[in-house]
Amino acid sequence: MNSHLLKQNIAFAIFRILGLMVVSILFWILGFIIYQGAGVISWEFLTSAPSNGMTSGGIFPAIVGTLYLIVGSSVVAFPVGILSAIYTSEYAGNGNIVKFIRIMTNNLAGIPSIVFGLFGMSLFVNTLGFGDSILAGSLTLGMLALPLVIRTTEEALKAIPDTFRTGSLALGASKLQTVHRIILPMAFPNIITGLILSIGRISGETAPILFTVAAYFLPQLPHSIYDQVMALPYHLYVIAVSGTDLEATRPMAYGTALVLIVIVLIINISASYLRKKLQKRHA
Amino acid sequence: MLETKNIDFYYGGFHALKNIGMKMEDHTVTAFIGPSGCGKSTFLRLFNRMNDLIPDTRLTGECLIDGEDIYHKSVDVTSLRKRVGMVFQKPNPFPKSLFENVAYGLRVAGTTDSRFIAQRVEESLKGAALWDEVKDKLKKSAFELSGGQQQRLCIARALAIAPSVILMDEPASALDPISTSKIEDLIHILKKDYTIVIVTHNMQQAARVSDKTGFFMLGELIEYNDTKKIFMSPEKEETQNYITGRFG
Amino acid sequence: MKHTEKELITLKEGVSEMWRLVLSQLEKAKQAFLNNDVELAREVASREKRVDSFELKIDSDCENYIALYNPVAVDLRLVLSLIKISITLERIADFADGIAKYVIDESAGFDNRDLRDDLQVETIFDTVIEMLSDSYVALDSENTRLSGKILAKDETVDEIYRNAIKILAEAIREKKIDPENGIKTMLVMRKIERIGDHCSNIVEEIVFYIDAKVLKHSKNRTSPPAPPEKTKKN
Repeated sequence: MNSHLLKQNIAFAIFRILGLMVVSILFWILGFIIYQGAGVISWEFLTSAPSNGMTSGGIFPAIVGTLYLIVGSSVVAFPVGILSAIYTSEYAGNGNIVKFIRIMTNNLAGIPSIVFGLFGMSLFVNTLGFGDSILAGSLTLGMLALPLVIRTTEEALKAIPDTFRTGSLALGASKLQTVHRIILPMAFPNIITGLILSIGRISGETAPILFTVAAYFLPQLPHSIYDQVMALPYHLYVIAVSGTDLEATRPMAYGTALVLIVIVLIINISASYLRKKLQKRHA
Repeated sequence: MLETKNIDFYYGGFHALKNIGMKMEDHTVTAFIGPSGCGKSTFLRLFNRMNDLIPDTRLTGECLIDGEDIYHKSVDVTSLRKRVGMVFQKPNPFPKSLFENVAYGLRVAGTTDSRFIAQRVEESLKGAALWDEVKDKLKKSAFELSGGQQQRLCIARALAIAPSVILMDEPASALDPISTSKIEDLIHILKKDYTIVIVTHNMQQAARVSDKTGFFMLGELIEYNDTKKIFMSPEKEETQNYITGRFG
Repeated sequence: MKHTEKELITLKEGVSEMWRLVLSQLEKAKQAFLNNDVELAREVASREKRVDSFELKIDSDCENYIALYNPVAVDLRLVLSLIKISITLERIADFADGIAKYVIDESAGFDNRDLRDDLQVETIFDTVIEMLSDSYVALDSENTRLSGKILAKDETVDEIYRNAIKILAEAIREKKIDPENGIKTMLVMRKIERIGDHCSNIVEEIVFYIDAKVLKHSKNRTSPPAPPEKTKKN
């Protein structure tokens, strides 16, 4: 065997091993969580509130709280994010203002999530007086999701070739009509995917909800957007480090983690499924 | 009739068109030829103001359609583009059904009379010599057509809004020879009802389809004359060098 | 140089070669006729086939060039004029062959030197040969300044021909020449006159190629047309 071939084989072997390592880390985490947490998953665990100082019972309020927060932050982030992405990529051209907006959006994405939490507490909870509430938490999470939504939407819009824009404009369509009738429908699958992935991102965040919405222990469901809720990530943190009986709740912590992972996984899988389906419709 | 007087056009500091004056009569086909970057496409796009979309451009001189200055403040660009249709280099049908592609211009113009739209769609597809091939699959996606059919669909789409002028920017450069010859046949037919201006890199195509030919080089209109004259005995040496392939 | 230009030059060279051959045929036909040289006349007759095959070859080369290269403008004009020139050259060679055959058949021929001088046979021969060789130079040098001069020579040829009718008619009437021989001599003069016309056609083709002016049927054909206008190069 000549030395080039040998080197190449060795190099490929290393790449392959490294690649497999990434996969094995993922499976290791998943396997570990499933192994540790699967035992506590039961119908009762999913549908009842925690009891006995959170050493028994289930996580139902936390699941519901997380879903509320997902919906709430989507309501905040999606319209603002999508519309501003349409503005920057379709209308604003390539001037200095747009460049500035883009840089700032990227900076926003780089801010640590705990800072968002702190800011949300100061602005929404205290200054605006929303208190610890779904509203304050959704706004904070929504802000966190915003740069992600903007960026994925912008990319989805940019992926549409200019020939469709000029084609539409050349037929006497206005810019708004072009965006509305041609560009958005074409970009829709990718925009949706981006949105769902950003939901997946924020549903696991703990820091932003820490000071703005999450309840340590609240065995009933919220009645309005001004109520506190429990949330899966925070609940996981609580029963893992600051519960009344950490040893006893350890399996429940893994169970909670498993539920959180499954929710995120479902979201991600549905995103790619939806994209495929939508793309097929447009092809 | 299309007419320009003393047109100068700039992309930023780049002087893309230099003092162009020419007239194009109704119901004729005028071809623009010239090396890449000579300004022929830029000049074509003046007539439906597509250059407006490019930032940092400047135009001086007059550009008239039937005597009306289309760059006058009172001119509404969208209504201008309904009078001046355009077909692009690459077929660019929308990801919609065949029917909706052709109906698009009418719909954005606010037409809601569905019987009228259906009638226009049929007429336009017939006008673009596509009706017989697609009449049974109007609900199918435009992407299911071949490249040549897609380009004729784009022509039908432009016809649907009843323009008086059709601009074609290298309409056959992405097509195979058979599709190309169908487009060329179509241009001959459309000439009866429309004024056609076509930019092409294919000189034989210019010779085959046009009545008059304008040769552009470095932003100047070097020679503009009957196509037969241009291809048999051009008056300018630059024209001759270009069309005989001795250019550059 | 571009490949298409090389091909064109090859075409042009083919025609030039044919031209030289036809010129030499004509020259030899003249010598044979003036000197009653049957040997030389036979040589002309035997080389006629070469001229024919030249014409066929140039014809098919030009057809191929048009089919493969789609020439336009000056290139197209050159190819078209080369086709016509080669056809015309072939006809001129036919006439030379005809004259040679006449010498072969009528070896008794034409020994009345005075009559020959009156008819200006040598002059008319030389004039058409000059026309043919001048037009060769015109094409070779792509220069149309000679065209007026060549076309003017055709008028000389026509004049000699017109006079020849009268002179021969009178010679026959006065029995200076056998009537049959006189008519045949007239036919030779006729052939030479036709060669002059064909040379004029060739000149017209050359002008068409170089200056793109169709001279045929235009009245003012002795003034050379203006060269193409040159625009400033940027």
